Amino acid sequence: MVCSWGGYTFIINLIPMHVLLCIVTGRFSSRLYIAYAPLVVLGTLLAALVPVVGFNAVMTSEHFASFLVFIIIHVVAFVYYIKGILSPKMFKVAVTLVVSVGLAVCCAVIAVLIALVASSPTKGWSGRSLSLLDPTYASKYIPIIASVSEHQPPTWPSYFMDINVLAFLVPAGIIACFLPLSDASSFVVLYIATSVYFSGVMVRLMLVLAPAACITSGIALSQAFDVFTGSIKFQLTGASSNTEVDAAETSSSTAESQTDAVKTEKPEETAKNRPSRKSKKKEREHGEKPSTEAKAEKKRLLALPLESSVISLLLLVLLGAFYVVHCVWAAAEAYSAPSIVLTSRSHDGLHVFDDFREAYAWLRHNTDVDDKVASWWDYGYQTTAMANRTVIVDNNTWNNTHIATVGTAMSSPERAAWEIFHSLDVKYVLVVFGGLVGYPSDDINKFLWMVRIGGGVFPHIKEPDYLRDGQYRIDSQATPTMLNCLMYKLSYYRFVETDGKGFDRVRQTEIGKKYFKLTHFEEAFTTHHWMVRIYKLKPPKNRIRGKTKKSKSKTSSTTSSPKRSGTKKKNPWQ
Amino acid sequence: MGISRFVLLVFTISMLASPALSDLVLSKVDRRIYLTSHIVRISSTLEVENAGPETVSKVLLAFPDLQAQNLAYLMASPHEAKAKVKVSVVSFPIDVVKPEDMPPGVTFYSVSLPQGLTVGASFTFDVLAVFTQALRPMPEQIGQADIQLVLYQDSAYYLSPYVVKVQSLSLKVPDSRIESYTTLQSTKVQGSEIKYGPYENLPAFSSSPITVHFENNLPFAIAQELVREIEISHWGNVLVTEHYKLIHGGAQSKGEFSRLEPQARENVQGPSAVRYLVAHLPPRAHSVYYRDAIGNISTSHLRGDSKKTELLIEPRYPMFGGWRTAFTIGYGLPLQDCLYESEGRRFLNITFSSPMIELVIDTLIVKVVLPEGSSDISVAAPFFMKQWQETKISHLDIVGRAVVVLEKTNLVPEHNQYFQVYYKFNRLSMLREPLMLISGIFFFFVACIVYMHADTSISKFSASYLAKQQWEEVRVAIQQVHNIICRCLATHDKLEASLRDLSRTGEVQACKAARKSTDGLLKELSKELKPLMTFLQSSPSAVQVLSKVEELVAKEKELLEKLMAKHSTAVEAYEKKSGARDIENRIALQQQKITALRQEVDDLLEFIDEI
Repeated sequence: MVCSWGGYTFIINLIPMHVLLCIVTGRFSSRLYIAYAPLVVLGTLLAALVPVVGFNAVMTSEHFASFLVFIIIHVVAFVYYIKGILSPKMFKVAVTLVVSVGLAVCCAVIAVLIALVASSPTKGWSGRSLSLLDPTYASKYIPIIASVSEHQPPTWPSYFMDINVLAFLVPAGIIACFLPLSDASSFVVLYIATSVYFSGVMVRLMLVLAPAACITSGIALSQAFDVFTGSIKFQLTGASSNTEVDAAETSSSTAESQTDAVKTEKPEETAKNRPSRKSKKKEREHGEKPSTEAKAEKKRLLALPLESSVISLLLLVLLGAFYVVHCVWAAAEAYSAPSIVLTSRSHDGLHVFDDFREAYAWLRHNTDVDDKVASWWDYGYQTTAMANRTVIVDNNTWNNTHIATVGTAMSSPERAAWEIFHSLDVKYVLVVFGGLVGYPSDDINKFLWMVRIGGGVFPHIKEPDYLRDGQYRIDSQATPTMLNCLMYKLSYYRFVETDGKGFDRVRQTEIGKKYFKLTHFEEAFTTHHWMVRIYKLKPPKNRIRGKTKKSKSKTSSTTSSPKRSGTKKKNPWQ
Repeated sequence: MGISRFVLLVFTISMLASPALSDLVLSKVDRRIYLTSHIVRISSTLEVENAGPETVSKVLLAFPDLQAQNLAYLMASPHEAKAKVKVSVVSFPIDVVKPEDMPPGVTFYSVSLPQGLTVGASFTFDVLAVFTQALRPMPEQIGQADIQLVLYQDSAYYLSPYVVKVQSLSLKVPDSRIESYTTLQSTKVQGSEIKYGPYENLPAFSSSPITVHFENNLPFAIAQELVREIEISHWGNVLVTEHYKLIHGGAQSKGEFSRLEPQARENVQGPSAVRYLVAHLPPRAHSVYYRDAIGNISTSHLRGDSKKTELLIEPRYPMFGGWRTAFTIGYGLPLQDCLYESEGRRFLNITFSSPMIELVIDTLIVKVVLPEGSSDISVAAPFFMKQWQETKISHLDIVGRAVVVLEKTNLVPEHNQYFQVYYKFNRLSMLREPLMLISGIFFFFVACIVYMHADTSISKFSASYLAKQQWEEVRVAIQQVHNIICRCLATHDKLEASLRDLSRTGEVQACKAARKSTDGLLKELSKELKPLMTFLQSSPSAVQVLSKVEELVAKEKELLEKLMAKHSTAVEAYEKKSGARDIENRIALQQQKITALRQEVDDLLEFIDEI
């Protein structure tokens, strides 16, 4: 789990919570101890072996809960042990002694711990976890986490899309878990409660909710089937014996015997759930039942009428069948369609937009093996895997500064951007542009995040510079900073020549600056639907030659070039 | 640079030209050079005349070294009238020879004539020479929208170690647009054809360089490496997989790329780009796929009829000069179309080279994967190539499959001829893999069965083991007790039923008979119960449950007694013919006790059942 996903912290906190719950509700047992203590020790050791986790397994606050509960469970186990040895009187004395001493020690330790934890700015929690606990945290402090669409809170439709009928079965399952509440079912309740909260914070934690929802609704379904099949079984066997009973009743059974039967059943009834009054009456008539129905006798208290139970059983099966159909559909339509190959259905059939792979294949075959590609980090892993080229930033977002550097470059004017990219040894810049075909998740729509993330590290990039009256726009009303930034230029370079007006189909406007030339970049490749555009950095020599050509007429041509090189050495991000 | 070198070379050759070495005379040479694609084909018709005193059986063909480097294919065949289709071309054997006293810089090939040429006789034959990389793009770099101009150099005179009496040359270029051409005496241009000659009575090794600079926008598709893997399965399929590494070998693309031009004027601009490739697959090819390292490529079309299957594939992007791509196509062929049997050996008969039209292949590696267990392998190929054998381990292979590897460089479509791989294969070896699977699964199940039946406990005398065994016995005994009690209860039910019958019909005798039969049954059952109870009492591991079982038996007895009492009172009452209400009153008390007991017995039974 630790190897695969950072979401393991969820489990590592959920299990201690469950253990704590068990201890508090007095369900402590040696089983619990044996299960938990080795898990913490071995789990922490194994987790520390994973490179990205390393010493975080003992340093960060995410893991703190498990250790705290680890201590508590030992204390509790010790107390139970002492209790077993000592007589009750002695035990009381010991408890008062230990509690008074222990409290003092605990207070001291806790004070030290709190001081330690409070000394770190994030209280020892990583940004991701904090954004879970406080949903507004990320948007305030870490734009890179907030920028990811799967870190946004989900909408109601997405719940129904993802878990469908389970959304209705889950509450029933929770109720079923409470009767009776065992160690296992309390874990399930805890699991579903926490995962519902977390999935409400981030849409991608729907992943955590899914198994919990499946388990609880499975419990609900199982209970429902139990009830329905039980009552059907009872009704069927009951029907055969009914005829005998009815015949006997006319002559032999008396009113008294009936009341007696009721008396004998009374204590049983109180223990069970109370079914409807009607069914109770029916049951009383079966006072003298054959012994083979001993089991059914208990069930009959929960019995429902035959027809209704058969119908509801059928309905449940139908519900399940629809759910399977829905799951297959969702898996096929929403999750199996690769986001890298887009399709659209038009009147003349299916149209495939395979631009991403076209661009990656081009990079793979037509660039040098050592060339580095800069793009927004979303395309990092794709470029690495499909184009087999080194990227500057990828979807591993541990290094925020690097991403901010690329964001800064994208939001800088061409010259500054060229210098940043050149200092990073970048050969190609890749941008995704959906304006021609109307692909909405392109780089222009993500651009504000680049500004925010870049501005978070390099303060000279300010978000208001890119907004006109708080509005993000790329038409003629856009700010000059926006119209001169690299991302705008790379996206819309020669775009106007396609239709003569430069109409962006995603933003539904005509672009602001239509005719411009690139001086430091040259177009290397653009895919069929213009969705991916790759630009090559012009080599620095060309630039100097251009300068010298201009200044040839002037006499100071020799002095200008060292100046240029002098400015180049300066930190390009300042 | 290249041009000047070529010119220099040709001049040196002509300077060094020594008198003809033999007495052959080429009485007529007719050369046609096809420059219509990036493959240069020179088809010449030679009429040889023996002017010497001896019979000659070999004719030498000469090519300057620069051309000979690029010579991909050379074939000599008897001359045929033009109308006839080349169906059964018998090619003459050709060898590279290095005769002495010859000028340097010339490579000679010797053609063996079918019959020796007697004195004074003449013979006419065709020579087809195919060259790759003979066209040089000029300029070497062009913009994306520019047309591609290429340069071709040759000699206007036929280079030959023999005296040539009459010769003519015609060059066919793809378009009528000719940038420039060398003008010699008697040069004519007719549309897209340039004609030199006729020239008469030229000495051996005479040459006169000509250069043609013309437009050639045909895509210069070159496969730098092509690996063809042909895998034979005797279950009915021949699987062909072809891995291409393609490059556009024409003029290098320079300057900015723009999507506008190829899109706006699809047919006119970016003309030299490789947009698509056409492959002629054999008929009945099936399961055709086209993909590359990152997945399926969706831009392909497949058309098929009974003669051939035509596959049109587009690379992921239009390839401009110098651009590369790599992809894989694969298809299956029915086994009976390419595998035959002769003299106890099987042979695969399949085309050697790529099915793509007008594709130059720098290096071709053909791997024929024969089924496991084939032996006595030999290859029959129409031309020379490197060959060796490998083994390939695939699924369910033990010793690996024999792989025949053939390698050849510099190939043109003319090389796409049939070749044969002969091997011996026993049909029974086909069954080896399925049998292996079946037996493997069979043995797995056998192992499972053995495991389930084997007693794997380490010690047969350990306390826990013995306790477990005893507990098993106790459980069996308890199960039997349970069964017996159930049967007892069933007989009780019978009694009850007889009572009910009595109340309905009033037949006392029948009721009594029922009583008797149940009595007998119950006695038998109690007899059966006795040994079980003694066993349970003696067994140490039954202590926990013994009390419950005993209680059950006692309760059952009590229940029986009560039932009997009820029965007898009811029967007595009926015998005395007392009123129904009276009987019921008498029974009621007993009935109450019976129900309570019955309830207890049921509970106990359930408890025991759960053990």
